[in-house]
Amino acid sequence: MNSYNPIQALLLFLLIAGILYVLLRPTKGWFWIIKNNFKSNEKVIIEDILKQLYHFENSGNKIDTKTLVQVLKFSNHHIIEVLKKMTINDLIYFESDVLKLTEAGRDYALRIVRVHRLWERYLADKTGFSKEEWHDRAEMMEHRLSHDETNMLAARLGNPKFDPHGDPIPTHTGKMAEVSGMELPLLPVNAIGRITHIEDEPEIIYKQILAENIHIGSIIRVIENNATRITFQSEGEEFRLAPIVAANLTVALLEEKVVLEENIARLSSLKEDETAKIIGISRESRGESRRRLLDLGFVKGATIKIDLMNPLGEPNAYLIKGTSIALRHDQAAKILIKKE
Amino acid sequence: MEHKNIDHILELSNELRWQIGDDFHDNLTEGIYADAAQIVSDSVQVDTSKKRFRLDRQIDKIVTSKTFGFPIMFLILATVLWLTIVGANYPSSLLAQLLLDTIHPLLKSGAAAISMPWWLDGFLIDGVYLAVAWVIAVMLPPMAIFFPMFTLLEDFGYLPRIAFNLDSLFKKAGAHGKQALTMSMGFGCNAAGVVATRIIDSPRERLIAIITNNFSLCNGRWPTQILIATIFIGAVAPSSFSSLASLLAVIGIAVLGMFFMFTTSWALSKTVLKGQVSTFNLELPPYRPPRFWKTIYTSLIDRTMIVLWRAIVFAAPAGAAIWLISNIHIGNESIAAWAIDALDGFGFLLGLNGVILLAYIVAIPANEIVIPTILMLTVLVTGLDAGAGAGVMFELDSANATGAILRAGGWTLLTAINLMLFSLLHNPCSTTIYTIYKETKSIKWTVFASVMPVILGFIVTFLVAQIWRIVF
Amino acid sequence: MDTKVKSACETCVHFNADGLKKLGINTTNFDFVVALAGNPNTGKSTVFNALTGLRQHTGNWPGKTVTRAEGGFEYNNQKFKLVDLPGTYSLLSTSEDEAAARDFLLFGKPNVTVIVADANRLERNLNLVLQILEITDKAVLCLNLMDEAKRNHISIDERTLARDLGIPVVAASARFNQGIPELIHTISEIANGNIICKPHRIKNVPNNIENAVKTLSAEIEKEFPNIPNSRWIAFRLLEGDTHIINALKTGELV
Repeated sequence: MNSYNPIQALLLFLLIAGILYVLLRPTKGWFWIIKNNFKSNEKVIIEDILKQLYHFENSGNKIDTKTLVQVLKFSNHHIIEVLKKMTINDLIYFESDVLKLTEAGRDYALRIVRVHRLWERYLADKTGFSKEEWHDRAEMMEHRLSHDETNMLAARLGNPKFDPHGDPIPTHTGKMAEVSGMELPLLPVNAIGRITHIEDEPEIIYKQILAENIHIGSIIRVIENNATRITFQSEGEEFRLAPIVAANLTVALLEEKVVLEENIARLSSLKEDETAKIIGISRESRGESRRRLLDLGFVKGATIKIDLMNPLGEPNAYLIKGTSIALRHDQAAKILIKKE
Repeated sequence: MEHKNIDHILELSNELRWQIGDDFHDNLTEGIYADAAQIVSDSVQVDTSKKRFRLDRQIDKIVTSKTFGFPIMFLILATVLWLTIVGANYPSSLLAQLLLDTIHPLLKSGAAAISMPWWLDGFLIDGVYLAVAWVIAVMLPPMAIFFPMFTLLEDFGYLPRIAFNLDSLFKKAGAHGKQALTMSMGFGCNAAGVVATRIIDSPRERLIAIITNNFSLCNGRWPTQILIATIFIGAVAPSSFSSLASLLAVIGIAVLGMFFMFTTSWALSKTVLKGQVSTFNLELPPYRPPRFWKTIYTSLIDRTMIVLWRAIVFAAPAGAAIWLISNIHIGNESIAAWAIDALDGFGFLLGLNGVILLAYIVAIPANEIVIPTILMLTVLVTGLDAGAGAGVMFELDSANATGAILRAGGWTLLTAINLMLFSLLHNPCSTTIYTIYKETKSIKWTVFASVMPVILGFIVTFLVAQIWRIVF
Repeated sequence: MDTKVKSACETCVHFNADGLKKLGINTTNFDFVVALAGNPNTGKSTVFNALTGLRQHTGNWPGKTVTRAEGGFEYNNQKFKLVDLPGTYSLLSTSEDEAAARDFLLFGKPNVTVIVADANRLERNLNLVLQILEITDKAVLCLNLMDEAKRNHISIDERTLARDLGIPVVAASARFNQGIPELIHTISEIANGNIICKPHRIKNVPNNIENAVKTLSAEIEKEFPNIPNSRWIAFRLLEGDTHIINALKTGELV
């Protein structure tokens, strides 16, 4: 203990702690970065290219090598090399400058899309990861699952039709359900529709939509639509979006005979001494949480009122089918009611 | 049994599921509730003409009100804890007198009468018997007081209201309001607190509650905290404030435990546990008068005895180990002395010493025997004239005498403070570790829950020791 | 079902002394297995303790049944083993408690299932009752907490309820041991086949689902002619319950 000195010991400790932090901090730690880089091999590049081409072709756009290099995060010569190989393997072909998928390439791309969307659905239904993380995690997983594993995953999830953003999931034979609707800015004032899809890319815009608490499956009515903003009403609240944000929402027009029920609100807006009937649970509540709510009797037509206000603001207790059940604010916001 | 080929059935079910869409579960549940409503309208009549006085509602209005809710809650919890700690003193000392001061000498003289070899006598009576007796004497009375009271509150229906009142605090830490209850249960016994997490039906929040339960100071640790605070912290305060100062120090440690509980919960929910499913619902059941005697009886049988039994099973081998390491010699030193020597350097870095670290290693099974082990080992290495010999745990009646031995063993105020911190932040006792494994059925989480607190303890005591030495 | 209305048996002094012996946890060599199911907070444990003479403690909220409690009683020289299932709101979700209850009803094949319901919250409780009736047709509804219901001015026409549900209904206040003798008698009658139940089937499902369930359960019955609950299996398959799929493959369900 001759050489002991508390200041030195403390500094040494801080040094070790600092090194560990730099190495291992979540996602940005060097350890993880190196681990991930190690994995981004040829297969990943091929699959990412196929996916990009698929999305471009589906939206009716054309893509050349230059744009592709800009979109993807890999180095130029890597991409060029891989493109050569893909042409030889008959996954893509060039039509003058434009890159095109062959039949085989399209099948392959569909498989990647299938894994991606299934995995997002899995994350949404069976895990607790927050919405912001789904996309990135699915991006990693889409390169890892084998064909059989994908089918097993699909079976476990009950072969769902749509991913949590409303995108259709291709079946193993390539069949896909149709998404109906158009981009929100194309809707005229007073149009009534249901949100069928929320685009999760680019991330900045997606996060903005999430922050607004806009839910897939909600019925909306357009109040104002001009070049600077789009205002619409949904579930008793008013939302204002910039057109560029609103374009990431797909809305299907409802048939004329469906009248938008007045007084629809979220359960979170119920006040003491008010009584309401439940209209339904928002699509945004999924997986285990949704099932639990249904099992507890939060079903269409049930009468509900506040039983006890919480001294700290939440959770409030609601009287439903003779029992007092406390729900947190974010849960109550996903239950739609009609006040009486 | 033969394996059936049911692929065509599965194929059909996939096809049909595709047709009916993703709303199957919703539709089915709504259908069942619609049936239920019809049946009820046929057979149930509610006489609404008579005015219903809901006593439940009146109680609820008070216990969840902004003004009275929290004072009532703290009053009840404080009363339960106070009754447990203070009320257990008397039966505890009775039991100690009986098991340690009466039966132990009797056994020793009995062994001498049948001329049992010294090593067998030492191993069985000084090692195994003494550890078990110690655990019973210290553990049984508080648990026999704490659990029945807690169970009465539970049967009455009050506990869910505590969870209701406190949920938003726990939500901020990514946890469930019911963790308030498992935490309170942990003040009685961490193993029981871990079992109690079954009331949390959300996987993520339940794991959080299990892993952080150890931050509740349990019955086995309260006496350590009180003793050390009385000897060292009480001594630095002016004599008229000494008991207040030591009381505040103990409460400070308990509050610090809650602070660590909240921060660890928050960190867990944001990192390793963020992928676990999280749901929330909290039923507030109607109040029902508990059946007093039946509740007392069943809580004694179900909770107290089971926990006590597990503790005894784990304490017996610990007693044996403690005796063995002090009596088996390698060269001219006992294993204990070698180990203490080896641990001293690391102990010094943490502001502790080798004796304390060794005591915590061999006394993993029960926190109750940490202080007796420390005393025994201190005497062993210092060669003081106290206690009853190598490997025989002991405790002294007066705090002053205990303090004298510890000071002779080189203890300072820093040692005392860091021991109190380390007693809060170290691995759970082996009963709790075993219970965590039984509840999570996962080696990964069991190891994590066992190692994480002790690393935290190392870091905290290390930092306190260095800063203390720089400042003073 | 043949509805025999039983006399008020707690008035006959010899009832308990003659036929009933509470066996506590001694459950070897039993003749019948009885499952005890119900929502949380319905006094299920009180019923369990009243039937077996045990003092099992379970808390006032979900998830507290510490381990699957078992007990027994003997009635008219027949031994009954009673298994207390975790209290759940439903059998459709994936929580551990629900899986345990569901698996026991499906694979444990109890001879009789006693469903304990809170008379004050019948509608909520029926959610579970109706699901259980899809799995098993040998069941009795124990309408517990009748004393509280009376205080709340709730009256229940047990005969209508029994007719609607297709199973016997016994009103009880287990706390005061009221209705327990009748319950034991009814359990014995069902176990011995003296009461045949025709349980209610869930009706209010949308047409497209009903059709899907019909098609699927017909197919299941073709493959497994003796299966008693093909409709429930069909429900589970449509939910994609991998547990059930495996059980079908190994033939565990038949």
